[in-house]
Amino acid sequence: MSARCGGLARVAIALGAGVLLATSMAAEAAASAAPGGVRLPEFERVTLDNGVELALMPKRDTPLVAMNVVVRGGLLADAPGREGTAALLAELMQKGAGARDGAAFAEAIESVGGQLTIDAGAESLSLGASFLARDLGLMIELASDALLRPRLNATEFDKVRERAIQSIAAAKDADPRALVGQYGNAWLFRGHPYGRPVGGSEESLAMVTLEDLKRHYEAQVRGDRLIIAVVGDFDTADLRRRLESAFGSLGRAAAAAPVATRAPTVEGRRVLLVDKPGATQTYFWLGNVGASRTDPERTAQAVVNTVFGGRFTSMLNTELRIKSGLTYGARSAFDRLAEPGAFSITSFTATESTVQALDLALATLDRLHAEGIDAATLESARSYMLGQFPPSIETNGALAARLTDLLMYGLGRDDVDEFAARVGAVDGAAAKRVIGQSFPLSRNLAIVLVGDAARIREQVGKYGPVTEMKITDPRFGPR
Amino acid sequence: MNRPSLLALGLVLAVAAAPLAAAPAPVAGADRIVSRTLPNGLEIVVWPDDDIPNVAMYTWYRVGSRNERPGITGLSHYFEHMMFNGTKTRPPGEFDRAMEASGGRNNAYTSSDVTVYQNWFPVSATPLIFDLESDRMRYLDFDPKVVESERGVVYSERRSSVDNDNFGTLIEQMQATAFIAHPYQIPTIGWPSDIEGWKVEDLQAFYRQYYAPNNAVMFVVGAVDPEEIFALAERYLAPLEAQPAPPPVTTREPPQLGERRLRIQREAQTPIVAMAWHSTAAPDRQTRVMEVVLSILGSGDSSRLHQRLVEREQAAVQVGTSLDQGFDPGLAWIYAIVPPGGDPANTVRLIDEEIARLAKDGPTAPELAKARNQALAGFWRGLETISGKAQALGTYHVFHGDYRKLFDAPAVYEGITAEDVRQAAATVLRVNNRTVGVLEPKPADTPTPERAAAAAGGAR
Repeated sequence: MSARCGGLARVAIALGAGVLLATSMAAEAAASAAPGGVRLPEFERVTLDNGVELALMPKRDTPLVAMNVVVRGGLLADAPGREGTAALLAELMQKGAGARDGAAFAEAIESVGGQLTIDAGAESLSLGASFLARDLGLMIELASDALLRPRLNATEFDKVRERAIQSIAAAKDADPRALVGQYGNAWLFRGHPYGRPVGGSEESLAMVTLEDLKRHYEAQVRGDRLIIAVVGDFDTADLRRRLESAFGSLGRAAAAAPVATRAPTVEGRRVLLVDKPGATQTYFWLGNVGASRTDPERTAQAVVNTVFGGRFTSMLNTELRIKSGLTYGARSAFDRLAEPGAFSITSFTATESTVQALDLALATLDRLHAEGIDAATLESARSYMLGQFPPSIETNGALAARLTDLLMYGLGRDDVDEFAARVGAVDGAAAKRVIGQSFPLSRNLAIVLVGDAARIREQVGKYGPVTEMKITDPRFGPR
Repeated sequence: MNRPSLLALGLVLAVAAAPLAAAPAPVAGADRIVSRTLPNGLEIVVWPDDDIPNVAMYTWYRVGSRNERPGITGLSHYFEHMMFNGTKTRPPGEFDRAMEASGGRNNAYTSSDVTVYQNWFPVSATPLIFDLESDRMRYLDFDPKVVESERGVVYSERRSSVDNDNFGTLIEQMQATAFIAHPYQIPTIGWPSDIEGWKVEDLQAFYRQYYAPNNAVMFVVGAVDPEEIFALAERYLAPLEAQPAPPPVTTREPPQLGERRLRIQREAQTPIVAMAWHSTAAPDRQTRVMEVVLSILGSGDSSRLHQRLVEREQAAVQVGTSLDQGFDPGLAWIYAIVPPGGDPANTVRLIDEEIARLAKDGPTAPELAKARNQALAGFWRGLETISGKAQALGTYHVFHGDYRKLFDAPAVYEGITAEDVRQAAATVLRVNNRTVGVLEPKPADTPTPERAAAAAGGAR
């Protein structure tokens, strides 16, 4: 049930006497092989006449096949005040499509041991599927039904929307670690699309209508918005024909895909205190605008982040956990999107040590800027990233997701193949440069604290002007 | 979509609990697995796999919270943390620093039954990892300062996974209620007063008693040559001295004589209901049958409980199942998140109806086929990575007595009949054999225990 690490790259949860599991968050730090690194296996790229991009990677070492489909748009296409439109559409596409109603669609997936889910993201919808290779045809049928022929049934819509609202309430009763980032993004990116909750809030979901979903569908789920990657045991020419037949009829979009502009960085500090009465721990998130998926300095940023908050012995985890025992884990990360997402520091501590832990986190950020990184630590971080990279593209599903990611952001296979070389080239000068450019100063931060406000309200005013809300408020940021 | 964290938990558990599929499964490279037992009793199982230039090393110790008693609850897990915190030859922190500098990463977990140490590293780091592992198996030391700071870490872990998570709170209390005699009643994270009370002497005694080579098995999966692994084991691990076998856990849970009900109140918007029945131990065939029972009831959106409670009646936001699989008979679980303002009793009634239907009529042929296919796909997904292979080998070797049984799993599931499923549902999922827990929103004016304690000056 209980594991050693959660805050960093490790989370463990338990249920009952004998069961447990530990999952690792994909650390940005995870990066390429020993000497020379690993290469992305060969794959074929095709663009269909209607703009659908295909990436097909045959791989014959397991009887499983994985598919990943990205549809550009996502939350960026949601109307203001109607956040959650894309998320509800993603859910509703699975509740009846083609010849199957919702129950039959689920039955078709599960009766063969398959998995197929559709989720919304900040700038895309994403379908992920894993089936036994013998069911490749069924997987394509179900995926194309969901994307091309969703029923978008009104009764199902009402249920999906209601359940989405209730699920947020349930999440607010559960571990705040899962939610603090949503409050963080809302507080950092005020008025910017990246600050809007992908899954919506209780308040915005109540405003979304089935017509909103249909509008999103008609405008965004079009051929030239689709990227499809398939990895597994198949014949490439045969699969290409099947996909062309399944997706080739989708029309092109009438307008360009929505894009975000670069958000302004936060100057000074501001504090959002989210009251969770009775909480015995304060969960905190400190952030500013970070870096994009295609930032030319992304490798150097990742090396520095590995040192600062991306692995167990990182500066943050060393100070807040290893040396002081204030927390189970402290970490930092970059959210990488087309434009810079958040750079954030997250941790949690007993309510009575809130100020001690926050002071220590800020002092550690100051130390990164003041002292930089010594040569031995830099070398260690490079080795760590190289050593941990191969497992990040080990499975068919991980490879399919990587392929759509490369195509989505206009990156080539060198993003993987030359990873090791790029990591090896990050020297002290590069580290120093990105510390100055991409890591915020402690005086410029959006700060979110989720905890028992009555016990910490007075003390946290020293970090900046405090805005307060309740965790039960039906939104993720103040009005 | 926004989902409570336990959704992810339920899904992963459902998959993890369902390794299955027909005749020894034809897993590529399975014929390359070799094992050896050192004279001191340490078993080493190696599965060469060159897919990526990395290695997963999992070391399993047969000790968990099942081996604890009042006063030292949570000690197995706390000890697991202390295994990273210094030896007579390496200062605290050096284990992690050396491993990460060589490109490796680690973690560990503790359950009621076992403690497992996981290392993931590039193959070039293999000798160093053996050195580090053998050092802490032989020369572990306890720095009093670190003993105290790590206590704070574990307390924070408890606050995160139990105290500030309503689902975690309910499950802990149910486990303590469902078992009145067997140490499965002990929460692996430990009761708060014991977390505050562990002593260095407790750790020292624990180390001697349980961290012996003859109480451990090591699994090495990845781009390695077994002979080189065995040579490293000879050099680094053979010098460890065997110890007397730890005292066995002999208490058996007496048959439950009637339903137990548990009601707790917390700050909450959504009630939670959970039900737990005494089931069987990991190697028991009935445990495989119960996996199928729970799969038909609650695995996936097409399952009976999801369709009835979530889709048709909207009596749950989410429903899930889980099955304990340990050395001794554990619990079979069904849980549901009730919509805000919903009636937990109604949700329980609907679950009861679905159980009764399965216990009376058994599954349909398509349902049985679905459960087998899910098991087969889960079996293959579990073997997609070197980590998954190390975990699967360990599970079968430690709990089923032989890692080779992993490859028979698909055939075992193929052999389960509709009547097996009906009978297991009827005999295990009985009212008198269960504990029902309900977490409900606390009326607005009730002080929380935390605030009451803080007012009295007693909170940690």
